[in-house]
Amino acid sequence: MIANILDGIVLGLQFGLLAAGLTLVYGLGGVLNLAYGQMAVISAIVITLALSAGVPVLLAVALGLFVGGLAGLILDLTILRPVYRLRGEPRVLLSLLLTLGVSFIIDGFLNWRYPLETLSLRIPGEAVEILGVPMRRGSLIASAITLVTFAALFGFFRYTSLGRAVRSVIQDQEGARLVGIYPHRMLRLILVLSGVLAGLVAVTRSMVTPVDAQSGLSITVFALIVTVVGGLGNVAGALLAGIILGIVSVIAANLIGTYISLIILLAAAALTILIRPAGLLGVKE
Amino acid sequence: MLKVKSLSAGYQGNDVVHQVDFEVGSGEAVMIIGSNGAGKTTLFRAMCGLLVPSSGQVFFEGTDISGAPAERIARLGLRFVAAERHLFPQMTVHENLLLGANPYRPDPKTMSLILDLFPRLAERRRQHAGTMSGGEQQMLAVGRALMSKPRLLVLDEPSTGLAPLLAQAAYEALGALRKQGLTVLVAEQQVPLAMSFSERGYVLENGYIKLQGTAQELAANPIVRRAYLGVT
Amino acid sequence: MSEKLANNSDASPLETVGTHDARSLAALFIPLALLGIALALVPLRLGDSRVLMGVAVLGLTYGCYTIGFNVIFGSTGQLFLCVGALAGIGGYGAAILADTAGLAIWASILLATLAAATIGGLLSYIAVRRSLGVIFTGIVTLIFSLAFEALTLGLGEWTGGDTGLSLRAGADTFLQERIPPYYLMLALLLSFLLIHGLLRRSHIGWAFRALRDNEVAAELAGVDVARYRVYAALIGAAMLGLAGSTYVFTEGRVSSTTFGFGEVDIVVLVMLAFGGIGSLFGPIAGALTFTIIDEALIQFGQLRYVAYGILVIALFLWMPRGILPTISSFWRRARGPKQNTVAKPIQSIE
Repeated sequence: MIANILDGIVLGLQFGLLAAGLTLVYGLGGVLNLAYGQMAVISAIVITLALSAGVPVLLAVALGLFVGGLAGLILDLTILRPVYRLRGEPRVLLSLLLTLGVSFIIDGFLNWRYPLETLSLRIPGEAVEILGVPMRRGSLIASAITLVTFAALFGFFRYTSLGRAVRSVIQDQEGARLVGIYPHRMLRLILVLSGVLAGLVAVTRSMVTPVDAQSGLSITVFALIVTVVGGLGNVAGALLAGIILGIVSVIAANLIGTYISLIILLAAAALTILIRPAGLLGVKE
Repeated sequence: MLKVKSLSAGYQGNDVVHQVDFEVGSGEAVMIIGSNGAGKTTLFRAMCGLLVPSSGQVFFEGTDISGAPAERIARLGLRFVAAERHLFPQMTVHENLLLGANPYRPDPKTMSLILDLFPRLAERRRQHAGTMSGGEQQMLAVGRALMSKPRLLVLDEPSTGLAPLLAQAAYEALGALRKQGLTVLVAEQQVPLAMSFSERGYVLENGYIKLQGTAQELAANPIVRRAYLGVT
Repeated sequence: MSEKLANNSDASPLETVGTHDARSLAALFIPLALLGIALALVPLRLGDSRVLMGVAVLGLTYGCYTIGFNVIFGSTGQLFLCVGALAGIGGYGAAILADTAGLAIWASILLATLAAATIGGLLSYIAVRRSLGVIFTGIVTLIFSLAFEALTLGLGEWTGGDTGLSLRAGADTFLQERIPPYYLMLALLLSFLLIHGLLRRSHIGWAFRALRDNEVAAELAGVDVARYRVYAALIGAAMLGLAGSTYVFTEGRVSSTTFGFGEVDIVVLVMLAFGGIGSLFGPIAGALTFTIIDEALIQFGQLRYVAYGILVIALFLWMPRGILPTISSFWRRARGPKQNTVAKPIQSIE
């Protein structure tokens, strides 16, 4: 049982990190970025190419994260401009449709140009025992990166004035404008941040499972599900939802079987949405 | 300090306020009175950049701010406290106040001045804004605006949702700020409250400025007395 | 209150629709007949090639899917991202019923269609009861799609898993000859169009009647929206199930990609984007154009998705009046507690 829970937490942290970038952009800007998984894939491919060109790992990863952030910035400067002119549900829908188009473009290009590049950051070494359970080093390092990332995110939002300004826009955009905060600048910042987070997703995921040009859609879809279960726009909710879904999924996989575990995971997500449409930690508007 | 010239504004092409002219001098307390639906909120929203005016101009300390976005106007030192207050509900009182400071750098002296002015806020520094009572929220909204040391404070219906005693207390606090030299423009439908506080005023009716004058002149005007002061 | 009054005045242009039955019937039947004749001539040109006829049948099948989706999304604003799953319930269901259970082909198709309709109706009922918005309906149905995909892969003994099933049933019938499947699918497509056309007319008439009987009826119209949504989902899902199950028999095989999310839902969305959401003939135009373009660009492999992406973006950016106002007016109608079913004239987004 302890093994299940630990494995579940490892998987759950991965889910949580998946959702973080997506949920921030939605919460702040009412933008549902369906090209999110593709942004992760871009980072993965950049890292792979850099590695095969002989660039040291850390530098390659940094380059990948930079390109991820750049992708976010480009989205903000181009395709999302018309989206920003709308409000409410039409805004979400237009953002969703346009970024779906972007995901086609990225997917098509990467599958055509780099169909075989696969990012797989293998961490060598023996399994480490935690509470008597042997854990793979890759999983542990990925989990550690995720925890540090979340701690950094929470710290940023709680203790820095820039982070506070971002939160103020999420909570009351008009109020934020009335104290002199430029919502669009905050949104641009968060899009860049979400691109970097997408890059981190690629990095941590590739320590456990390979990431290639075909991974985009499934990354987006899982990120979307965890986001919704955790409450759209809620970073803490994303982490909590990720961990719960991760544990549910691992336990179901061990008790019943692999494909059923996916279905149970999906059913759990659907039920949460139906019972608590605002998400686990969501606040009713 | 503030000069509004023939301002018209509204929603979806239908003007709610029409060619409104008024001004506020430095150090003055000016009221705009009118009944519910007269257009006070629309006028203020257009003035403070939350709504693009359909025509007319707004000058703030000589700068033309007509149609400028709210965030820019706020940074110029014109702070608007809306009737809905627009606090950040899931942040503490302290965080709300910090965000009021401009730009992002709170001045501890201002903070302690504001906490002296509203001791209730000091008691509740760690409480989330969304869980406070209406009166406390109003204090916080004003306090947050004051954090930036504004040149002009614009308040839309500060008495909204407050019990009569609290509304009176709110105006007393505003009076104290006035004495320290703050310029204040307030829209109010509870006219007696606004009268006790302002030096000059304008009467807005159906989107037009119908009357203007000093507080005494308006208080003596038979139309104002009948319509807004309940004197027959 | 003012909202209601505004709706009353909005509704007046609809009277013309209600009072010109003959003309609007002609407006439905004449293009339908022309389309039918034009499509019926296609085998004259392509009939020699088995491959091209296969493409044509697939194109018609996607046309059917697009109509089914349009009935659900275009008419009632329910974003069902489970087109492939509903068609797959029809497809896999019919295949298993006919091959494993040994039912007659027509009976398996019928039962599988009913199953798809039931599940579609159920999804809609849940969405309506929980008053999910467009986005949440989309996400719940997307989850359903993924669960269906996991099931088809997991239940290998029934579905053949990744490789899929080759059907014995129907192998020696007209269903797998070169030309007849085309006409079968064409008949499906035309009857779906006819049903959708009649549905639109009855929908408008219904809503108009509800509103004309003034306030009380308008209050009740909220109930009508909910019920109409479930009906639309039932009918649309039945179309998807029927098209999916029929297609499986013409193809003689079914696999996990036949009804995959990426293969069906996304393509149907693109087709609908091409043609215009909510319009009657738009989806057909979209499905046919897309099939032709896809066939023409097939030599470019994956690179053609870049073109589709650009096309989707361009369509939604420069043609939003055809597409987005429909969505936004649905949204406006759906969000208030007092819903009503009036088909408002298309409005711009403020």
